[in-house]
Order: sequence, then C-alpha cells, then structure tokens
Amino acid sequence: MLTSNALKPLPDITDQTRPFWAAAKQRRLVLQKCARCATFNFHPKPWCIECGSRKLAWTDARPFGTVYSFTISRAVAMNLSGWQAELPVLMCLIDLDDGARMYGQVTDCTPEALRIGMRVEVHFEDISDEAAIPKFRPAKQPC
Amino acid sequence: MRSEVAIVGIGRTPYSRAKPGEPKLTVDEYIAWAADLALQHAGMDKTDFDGQGLGVSHAEVAHTVNWSAATAENLGISPQILLRADQGGASASAMLIRAAALIKAGIVDRVLVVGADTPLNIPSAAPGLPLSPERTRGVYWDFQGPFGVMGATAQFALVLTRYMHQYGVTPEQLGKIAVTTRFHASLNPGAIYRTPMSLDDYLSSRLLSDPIRLLDCVPIVNGGLAYIVTSAKTARTLCDKPVFLRGFGEANNYYHGGSRALPDITHTGFVEAAPQAFAMAGVTPKDIQFFEPYDDYPFIALMSIEDWGFCKKGEGGRFVEEHNLRFDGDFPLSTDGGQLSGGQPGGAIGGFMPLVEAVTQLRGEGGARQVPNARLGASCGFGGIPYGRPGRSCVSLILSNED
Repeated sequence: MLTSNALKPLPDITDQTRPFWAAAKQRRLVLQKCARCATFNFHPKPWCIECGSRKLAWTDARPFGTVYSFTISRAVAMNLSGWQAELPVLMCLIDLDDGARMYGQVTDCTPEALRIGMRVEVHFEDISDEAAIPKFRPAKQPC
Repeated sequence: MRSEVAIVGIGRTPYSRAKPGEPKLTVDEYIAWAADLALQHAGMDKTDFDGQGLGVSHAEVAHTVNWSAATAENLGISPQILLRADQGGASASAMLIRAAALIKAGIVDRVLVVGADTPLNIPSAAPGLPLSPERTRGVYWDFQGPFGVMGATAQFALVLTRYMHQYGVTPEQLGKIAVTTRFHASLNPGAIYRTPMSLDDYLSSRLLSDPIRLLDCVPIVNGGLAYIVTSAKTARTLCDKPVFLRGFGEANNYYHGGSRALPDITHTGFVEAAPQAFAMAGVTPKDIQFFEPYDDYPFIALMSIEDWGFCKKGEGGRFVEEHNLRFDGDFPLSTDGGQLSGGQPGGAIGGFMPLVEAVTQLRGEGGARQVPNARLGASCGFGGIPYGRPGRSCVSLILSNED
C-alpha cells in the first residue's frame, strides 16, 4: 500500500496524531490549541506545555509563517534514502502566524534566496493513503 | 566547605571504528572492559560494589538497549542501589550528581558508573535509522523524519544559522576549535583521528548541512567508559590523587526567552546550570584552568563557553579567536581531542569523555597534553536534542584535586 514511499519514513499514525495527518490530507493545517490559555502546541503534546491543561482541541491554524532559521541539507543522514532525489533539502524552522514553531521543508525556492524572516505559505504533499505533510513555499503576497 | 565526594578511578577503553577484521564487542563487553580499567585505576575490586551503588548509562542505538539490573547481572555485581540515566550525553555527569547525593545521604559509600555503546555494530547493512526507538519512533520522530529532518547535523545547523543571524560567528572561529582539538588528539594515543589538520583543511571540507561542514561533525565509534566515585573519606584511604566534585548544576528542558512555543534557541541550559555549579564551588569562571565541553560540534563547544559565562553571550567567536585553546594556552579546551577528533561511542556515552578527561588532567595523567599545574577544571554533560532546540539536559561540573 505504501510502497511508493518505502524509501521515506512514514509516521506511525495514532489516535493522538491522526487528526493532524487526516486534516493535512484535506489540505488543512491543524494544531492543538489549549482551551484554557489559547497556546498552540506543536508537535502534538499530551497536555499544554504552557499551562498543563489536557483540554487541547485540534484547531485550524493560519497557513502562513516566517522562516525562523534554516539549513541546506546536502546529504541524507539519519533519514531514509528516498530524500536523496530532493537534495539539497531546504529545511527550516517556521514560526507560524498562530505562534507555534515547526520543522518544515521550503520548496520552490533556491538555497541562495532562502533567508531568515522570509514569509512562507503552507502547501501539502501526500505521503501515504492516510497522511500528508505540510511543506512551505515563499508566500505570494505579504500576509 | 570541603568536598564530600571524589572520583578515585576512571577507565576508557580503546575505541574501534569496527573496520573489517576488527572484533565487534558487545555493550556489556565494553562495559566490563571500562569497569576493569577503572577498578585497576582505583585499586579496587568488583566485590567492593556489592551492597553499594552501580550506575549504568543508557546506550543509544536500537540494538543495544540495556537495563541496569541486567548489566549488574552480567557483571556479577550485587549492588544495593542502581542508577540508570537516560539523558543522552548528560547521563554520565547526571549520575555523578545522583551518586554524590546518595553518598552524602549515607545510603552508599561508593558507586561504580559505567557506559558503553556500539553504534557501528549495526545488525544489518540496511541504511536508515540505527538509533533507538526513542529517537526514531513516536511523536518526536513522526514529526521530524517524514518532514525531512536529517538528524543531529541538520538540527544543530538550524541552531547555528539562527545564532549567526543574532550574533555572528565565522567559519574561521569555529575552525579554530576543530583544529585545536585535532592537535590535542594528536597528543592522545586513545583518540581516533590523530593526524593534525589545518584551518584550510577545515574550511575546504564539504558542507553537509549549511553552515555545518564535514569536519564539524563528530565521528562515531564503539567503546566504553567508567568512573568510580566514593565518599571523600574513603577516597583519601584509596588514593593520593582523588578528584573532588566541588560544584555541580543541572538544567533539563530549558527554554530561553520566556516562551515555550517560540523560544530563543541560541542559549543552552548551561545558562542555569553553570551558575549553580560556580556558586556551590565558590569559584568564578576566571578561576577555571581548563574546560571540557561536550563537543560533538565546534558550535556546541562555543555555545557552552558563552553560556557558562567565560565570555558574554554572542562573543564566543571573538573569545575563541583571542584565546589560546591549547593545553598549554590560557584557555585549554577539549584537551583529549574531545569527541570531535577522539570519537564518540554513541551520543550518550560520549558524555563520559569530558568528565574522564577532567579527572585525567587533575590527576596529572595527561601525558603530552597535560595542562600545567592543573588544580581546577570544568566539564559538561549535554544530552538529547529536543524538537527545534539544542540540548535537553545540561550538566555543569566543577572538579578539583583540592577539596
């Protein structure tokens, strides 16, 4: 079933994380939002890392962010060889507009153009029948 | 205040790159070898630890998971207390703090602390993920691997890029750390890479994950290390060169800048751990004669220098440039060649090396790399890579051959 992606790691989808992957399949970015203090938590947490509330609700997040940091990965290391075809991988830490930080690959951008502070927008790539991952590309307009 | 515990013996096995024809020892074989060396160093016997303490660091790769009680069984030691640390490269230093507390409380008098890993004994030739389930399964990995994160080099490169954005550091400054530690490795028969290299060698090595280049990256080896800690009273009866734990500090899961969601990732937990250690020891950074960071990358050594307070934040590059980092210089750094040129027996066990080298120096057993008149030194434990940040666990140790 997943042979097309056998050379890339796939997530173990659990009841905890299924909403994230399922929403991504529907081209929606959802994060756990704390019902008590409104913090967006990412990656998925067992309770809010700010206030400790277990009332975390999967909530649509704005699909825009800013590059907080980046690296140009030029070799596949500690990952699976399916990434080889995409080298160099522009791997970033993205500060989402809703206040969470995530690892994200930036596409449609040259290594030379990538910079801290760059505005980016989410797009999605299917990685299995059950999951898609968010990736980012330079935002078309300042948002 | 007189120190209440001391290290009386250390052991570090020869390291192996597991080349064809070399025997592939198991974790327990390396543990026994390292423990044997430490026991000989201390003039003790394994039976001295029956009814006492045994500390076992976790190994990190998937095929080497070890439980502390199983290690006790395999060594034929029957300890009263077992310690097991799972703090990656902070494990060895963290167990020294735990052991000191047990000894100070009078629960035990002595603790043998061991660790080994065999990351190069990968059971199959398949490429991919030789790390433990903790690193490659569960939420932590599910939200990294599929996203394209290429392991520690990429994770630390992201921290370095941000650091360069906020503060600036040049490749030449980071290269000076790599070149100096290689020089130290050339003086250490136990180091893996002993051929001196030049700054040009460093600068011309290829970029793996910008701005981290090949010669920024720690080489993996198989090996084991051990140390023995006792009450100060027992230490004085055992040897004439005990190394006293003068101060310690620890910070786990440190966030800098007030936000857990969007922290400033350019600071490590040493910001909190080091002041604890200095206050306990009653000394200041300028009293420290040599510094043994957890140096899996030169940049980690540089951040550690800053966050311990040897210079102001952001001035680490200039500090490195302006100081002589050699064993006979004014700021001796990674005097055994560190992990960068010495080799890293898995990220967790590499954390024994700064501590073991600090003890070596304070016993005057550094040979060709001996820091002159070494009396007071500092070493680091640094372990685990949290999501999007550097260093889950930071341990600061201040050690002296004077109590």
